[in-house]
This record gives sequence, structure tokens and C-alpha cells, in this order.
Amino acid sequence: MSGQRGQDVHADNVFMSFAVTSDSHTLDAYRARGGYEALGKALRTLRPEDVEAEVTASGLRGRGGANFPVGSKWSFVNKQSPVVYLCCNADEGEPGTFKDRWILEHIPHQLVEGILLAAFALNVRHAFVYIRGEFDLPLRRLRAALEEARAAGLVGDGILGSGFACDIVVHRGGGAYVCGEESSLINSLEGKKGYPRNKPPFPAVKGFYGAPTVVNNVETLANVPWIVARGGAAYAALGNKANPGHRLFGISGHVNRPGLYELPTGYPMKKLIFEDAGGILGGKPLKAVIPGGSSTPVLTAGEIETLTLDAPSLQQAGSMLGSGGLIVIAEGTCMVRLLQVLTRFYRHESCGQCTPCREGTAWMDDILARVVDGRGEAADVASLRAIPEGILGNTLCALGDAAAMPVLSFVKKFGNEFEYFAANRRSLNGDRLEA
Amino acid sequence: MELTIDDRTIEANRGESVLQAALRHGIEIPHFCYHPGLSIAGSCRICLVKVEGVSKLMPACNLSVVPNMKVSTVVPEVGRAREQVMQFLMLNHPVDCGICDKAGECRLQDYEFAYGPPRSRSIDAKHHKRKLHDLSPRIQLDNERCILCSRCVRFTREVSKTNMLGIVERGAHAFVERVDPESDDDPYSDNVIGLCPTGALLSRDFLYQSRVWFLEPVRSVCTGCSRGCSIDLWRRKKEWRMRALGEERNSMLYRVTAHENPEINGPWLCNKGFDQHKLMSRERMLTPMLGDAPASVEQALARARDLIAQARSPAALVSALASNEELDVFKATLGARFRVYAREDAVAEPGEVVEDEFLIKADKNPNSHGVRERFGWRTLTAADAQGHDLFLVWGDWGDYAGFGRAPVIHLESFARQRDRHADVHIPLSTTFERSGTFSNFEGKRNRFDRVLDKPPLVQHAADVFAQLDAELAAPQELREAS
Repeated sequence: MSGQRGQDVHADNVFMSFAVTSDSHTLDAYRARGGYEALGKALRTLRPEDVEAEVTASGLRGRGGANFPVGSKWSFVNKQSPVVYLCCNADEGEPGTFKDRWILEHIPHQLVEGILLAAFALNVRHAFVYIRGEFDLPLRRLRAALEEARAAGLVGDGILGSGFACDIVVHRGGGAYVCGEESSLINSLEGKKGYPRNKPPFPAVKGFYGAPTVVNNVETLANVPWIVARGGAAYAALGNKANPGHRLFGISGHVNRPGLYELPTGYPMKKLIFEDAGGILGGKPLKAVIPGGSSTPVLTAGEIETLTLDAPSLQQAGSMLGSGGLIVIAEGTCMVRLLQVLTRFYRHESCGQCTPCREGTAWMDDILARVVDGRGEAADVASLRAIPEGILGNTLCALGDAAAMPVLSFVKKFGNEFEYFAANRRSLNGDRLEA
Repeated sequence: MELTIDDRTIEANRGESVLQAALRHGIEIPHFCYHPGLSIAGSCRICLVKVEGVSKLMPACNLSVVPNMKVSTVVPEVGRAREQVMQFLMLNHPVDCGICDKAGECRLQDYEFAYGPPRSRSIDAKHHKRKLHDLSPRIQLDNERCILCSRCVRFTREVSKTNMLGIVERGAHAFVERVDPESDDDPYSDNVIGLCPTGALLSRDFLYQSRVWFLEPVRSVCTGCSRGCSIDLWRRKKEWRMRALGEERNSMLYRVTAHENPEINGPWLCNKGFDQHKLMSRERMLTPMLGDAPASVEQALARARDLIAQARSPAALVSALASNEELDVFKATLGARFRVYAREDAVAEPGEVVEDEFLIKADKNPNSHGVRERFGWRTLTAADAQGHDLFLVWGDWGDYAGFGRAPVIHLESFARQRDRHADVHIPLSTTFERSGTFSNFEGKRNRFDRVLDKPPLVQHAADVFAQLDAELAAPQELREAS
């Protein structure tokens, strides 16, 4: 069981506020840490709009990658609608991201409490957790937690003796990355093919079975108990002012201590890489960082010097904080081969509904596969610049952008490696992916 | 409300999309997956336009009009996006237009010329998919030519509601497939051929029959049932007529397509309608006959005139295949001399869809309504038949069993097996050989135009009635002198 490697446990943390043990995920352990007190407080003393107001005041933004203000998303929903649905997006599939998995494995009750608080705020009777099909332990832990919660009167009718009722249904995905996109998640949940829907209408207006639906990420919802317990203002005071709160940063790649770190936003990226994560493997110099899951534009070592881990800082650097999954790349890595690992993924995961993504992802991967195979042509690098431009912004959902951004940024920032590989039909870096 | 598209201010309706408003005003915005009769897919991405104040390009098909919206289809980024989308669509398209029936009326081909990049950027071999296989006994599918616009899939889901087609697999592996090969054929399946914006779905009947630019459509009405759908019948253009070998191709009906008519059939047609041209292969009645002996038109008319002149109580069975104009002529000329009975020329064949909730009606005649309007709907009973000493049978029928020994004058288009020849037989033109109107089951009149010339000895029913009437009105001596 991977715990919080290298992470200090602080009682004030939102997620990693306890030492992971073999039973720290259970209801008893969660309650002993003060779990479900926020729910009790809300049901006894708060109105639904108060919960929403606290979340709005907290400045919490969506943790799935889009960084959309949660209060705004909730405010779009007509709570007077006869039915409102809440879907917790646990289809964590972005390469380099493994935070929701940790939450599901270690603090499933915190997620359940967050779902119940959101359901209370949004007038939701039925909430769903759409969980990634490949997740095994997270699924078992979540199901066990829901059983415990149901037995303890925390889920179902008359929660904690109040008039509030909410059921939580776990739905296991079939293994499609695109179902992490909220509208295809809803289609999949309805039993249809996981095709993203046209927007507008947005799910907040017309979502699951045509009813207003909020889709929130696991980490987003797991923040809510803390916010309700301590107040939105307290949360807003954490980390970066413009993009407050704590986040779970997953760091992987060529670092000595890869793992998950709970840090306030605004934390220096270099400090995370070189201090918390113990620096680069073998003491090599840093080459590049993919800062927020595989679809965010890559940054060179020079670009991250002064960067802090918050959305405005990364946006300024031309990238995104995304899902908070950092992939660290050491000097000597072949960026061409690395990019092909990514294009192969997006080609496989494109749903095939809209033209630019369906054709573009396959084409970029075809070209890169050929270059990596030593059959590159001079025209290939120009194509790798042009194709993602034809995808970016022109697709039905964000998967197209997710597939285009890595290619655009890799070729822009490491163009010489691509040109060398295509012209000389061998890697400038000896085909290395390992540090 | 008003909106501006490329410096043109147009009036748009609330709830309309930018694409619908533009098309209504004759502003061209290319579109593959959009079709007015289907739901919005938003997937082809060729209709991307620039909206002032929005950074991303927006698909015009899923963009609701907003008052004073400013839309551009001419800014360079729109042109670039169209080039890119065309490049993507053509990436693995086989470009086998030379052997593709769709060439010449292919949206993909048209848009590639209009909006495609000057040359392809691809240097890789094309990916192959399943080519030219039978989707059903009527339709051939070429997955390589398919651009996955999902028009056909949405049609079978939303319009014909058979769910015959689906897109399986994902990403670049996705392809259109018959979801349940065991299922019955969709009685409206041929619509997907016309819906397909490329040559992926082709009619097996029309396959390799002609290049479409040799052909021209003539507006007509389907005679398959009392819905009376508007259709186009395709014949060879005058300037492309064969002068030597294959002259029969000049007088051939190549295919039928639906002709959009919002009043009656929208843009759709059933498979029976798509088979209208097959009536051409039914054996025709081409020569006037007196009993078993071929006769001239004059002889046949003279005999008919005499029979009518001698009859004391003649009955006429009018045709529900006749046009309103022909029925009017009959009523104005011979109508008063005859006791008029109505009857159905055609009834549902075994295995045919009798009626459904979409287009197909149980009455399989195109103009029963027109007959009813003029003559009522009294059918001939055995008792009625006893009282008549002459029967004028007009239309597609050959059962004279109830007529006893009374003589029969039969006007019909098609030859058929019968136990006894009529005394006089006059061959009639078909719907394809004359113009007119039918009144459908709701009384809506729908016009059909002449597509082909009639064979020399074949007569138009209206001419026959007018001539008989003129001669019957002439004094007895004149008739005997002639």
C-alpha cells in the first residue's frame, strides 16, 4: 500500500491529516478523526444555500483539470428542478495522475461526506460515482465505505436523523479515457456509448437523463467537508490567493521520491521536485516537466525556475496546472520517443466522433511511430507542427486539445530533437526513456 | 431578430441555429453531418465559423442565433479550419472517384474542391477498411469512403426507428455497421443512400448504371400508395443521348430519389418508392387488340364507340391510378353515359408493409381520393354486374369473371395473364409518360411531369375519352360514312 511517501502529515491538511494504517480508511477511523461532523453540522444548522455559499467563498476550483470555479458550477443548477443529479467523476485516467485513486483508497468516507454535502446543497436525491473500470482496490474501498455509511445511517433515507435523504450509486466505467469528460461520462452512465455531447446545453442545464446535473471530480468533492467544517474563508486563506486551497500533487518520472504530496497552491515547483521529491534520479540535470497530467504543455527546465504550483503561474508560463500530476523528465531523455508514448495513448482513446480528433490523433501517432522506427522524413516535423493546430480548438470536446497540446509544445520546445531524429533516422538521445 | 453574417444582415428566428439561418438566406456554410431532418451531431466540424467576441471557432450547426450576433465565414482562420478538416477527412479516403457512383453529386468531392488544401500533407500510405460489401440486399457499403458523419445512423435511429445501423469501435477504428445482421431490412433503408455525403452507401440497383452527370431528375409522384410522395425520376439528359449502341438507355429510368416536399413526405421516401422505376420492367400492353387479334388504334376506337353506342346500361370502372385531369375529362365526356364504379387498382403484395405510422398507407393507389371526390366510392357488386350490358374497365385489372357475357372495353397499361380477352383492348400510357396531378389521402394535390415518350401505339386515357365522346356525339350517318 503506497502511503504518503515523503509527505509530512499535518492535522490541518485537507487530505493527508493522519498516518495511513491498515484500517485508517474505515468509518470508525474516519469518525475518530472528526469525520462526518461537517455533515452533521450542515444538517443541523445550515441551509443548502449556506453550504453553497461556503463553497463559493472558499474559492474552490475543479480539480479534474479544467480548474473551473465550483461555486459557479453549482450556481448554474436550478435547484427547484424536480430532479437534480450529482455525478462524482472518479474516472481518473489522465496519465501522470493518481490523486483520486489515493482518496478512494484511503479516505473514501471523506469523499462520501463531500458527496452528501454537495447533494444537500444542490437538492440531489441520487448521486453517482462513475469510477474508472481499471480501479480495483479503490472500487472495493469505496463500496465498503458506502456499506458502512449506509449501515450507520449516513447514506439513504433520513440521514443522521434529519429529513435529508441521498443514495449513492457506484457505476464502474468500461475503461475509456474519454468518459472522464463530463458529458461522455453522463452518456456512459445512461448506458450509451461514451461519446461527448455537444455543448450547449451544458450538464448543469440538461445532463443525466435530461435533468440538471453537476459533475465534480473526486478531489473537488473531498475538499467540501473541510470547507464546511472550517468555513470557506479559512479555505480561501490557504495557498495562492487567486487559486486557493490544498491540492494533491502527484509527481512521477525521473525523481528520487515519486508519489503524492499534499501542498498548498502557490508552492514552488522546484521545491517540490528538488526537495520534497528528492531531486532527479542519478543527480542528472532537469530537462523538462509536464506539469499537470500528460495533456498539459511541457515546460523546459529554464521555464520552471520561478514557477509556483497554481493556475495563474502556470498559465503565464503557457501551460496548465491541470490535474496536478507532474511528470519530471531528466536530461538525456529522448523527447521524440516520449511524445510517441503520449500520442499512442491519445490515438487509442479518441472516441472517433469528431473529425479532427479521430483523424488527427491517429495521424500524429503514425508519423511519430515511423520517425521512432527510423523511417522519418524531412516533412514530418512540419506535419507535427501543422496537425495539432488543426485539432486544437476545433474539436467537440477537450480530448482533441489534450492530444494536440503535448505535440505542439514538444515540437516547439524540442524541435531540434525531432528534426535530428527525422533527418538522421536515429535519436539524439539514444532512444532513452529511462534516466 | 437580426444577425450579421459576413457583413450581410439577415433576419433569423428564435431557436434557429446560425447554420439554418444562413442556409435559409442562401449563405453557404459547408456541412456534412447536419441535416434538417436529423438531430444535431456537431461532429464533422466543417461548419466552424468565427463569432465576434468568441476566441474559439464555433460549429454553426449547434450555435443558436443571438440578436446582433456577428458571424464571419470569410476570416482566414475559418478558411484554415476548413482546409484542416478537409485534410483530416481525406487523409484515409481512397479518392476512388473514378469508380464511385457518387462522383458528380458527392458533397465530399465538392467540398474538397471548394475548401480543401491545395495538396495533401500526408506522405503515409492510406489506412484500409472494409470495402464494397453488401450491407443489405439493397445497399452496398464502402467503409473506406465513409467520413463517419453518422447521418445514416441517426436516420435509422430517429426517423425509420429500426436502429439498423450503428458506429462500432472507437477512434480511427470506428466504422459504420449493420448492428444486428439478423434483423429485418429497414423499409426506409434507401434514404441513407441519398443522406450519405460520400460514396460510402450506394444503391445496389443503380450500381455502375450511369455516371450521374449524364442524368437529370424529373419531378414525379410515387404511385406506390395513397401518400403520394414527391420523387425525382432520373433519365438520361438530351445532350448525352446515345446515338448508336445502347439506345435503350435513352428511354430508361435509372433511379428514383426522394424529392423534398414538406407538405407530404419531407425529405424521405420508402423503399417501394425507391423502386418505382422497376415498374418499367413490367410487361407492357403495347398494341390495341380486338379479342385476340392485334388491331390499329382507329379500329379499336371504332369498335369501342360502337359498343358504347349500342349499350343500354353501360358500367365504367374508373382507375385509382388515373390523374385528376384524366378523371375530369372522363367525367366531362363519357361520364354521363356510364354508371361509374370505383375500385382499387392495386392492393398490398404479400410481404409488403401494409401501413405504418410514418409514410406508408394501406391504400396502395395514388388517386383514390381523386376518384372519390368526383364519383364517390361505390364498388361493383355481383348484383350490380347483372344489370349492365357493357363494361368499360379503366386501369390495372383483369378479373372479368363477374361480368357474365357482357362485352368489355379495357384500357390499361400493362399486359397480364387473363382467362378471357376483352372485346376491345386499348393500351394506355403510364404515369411516366404523361403529366398530371394526384390527390393523396389527405386531398393534397401533387404534380408529376412526363419523363419519357410513350410508345407509338399507346394512348393517353384523356385522348381516348375525348375522341370517343366526339364521335359518339356526331350524327349516326356521319359515323357510318366514316
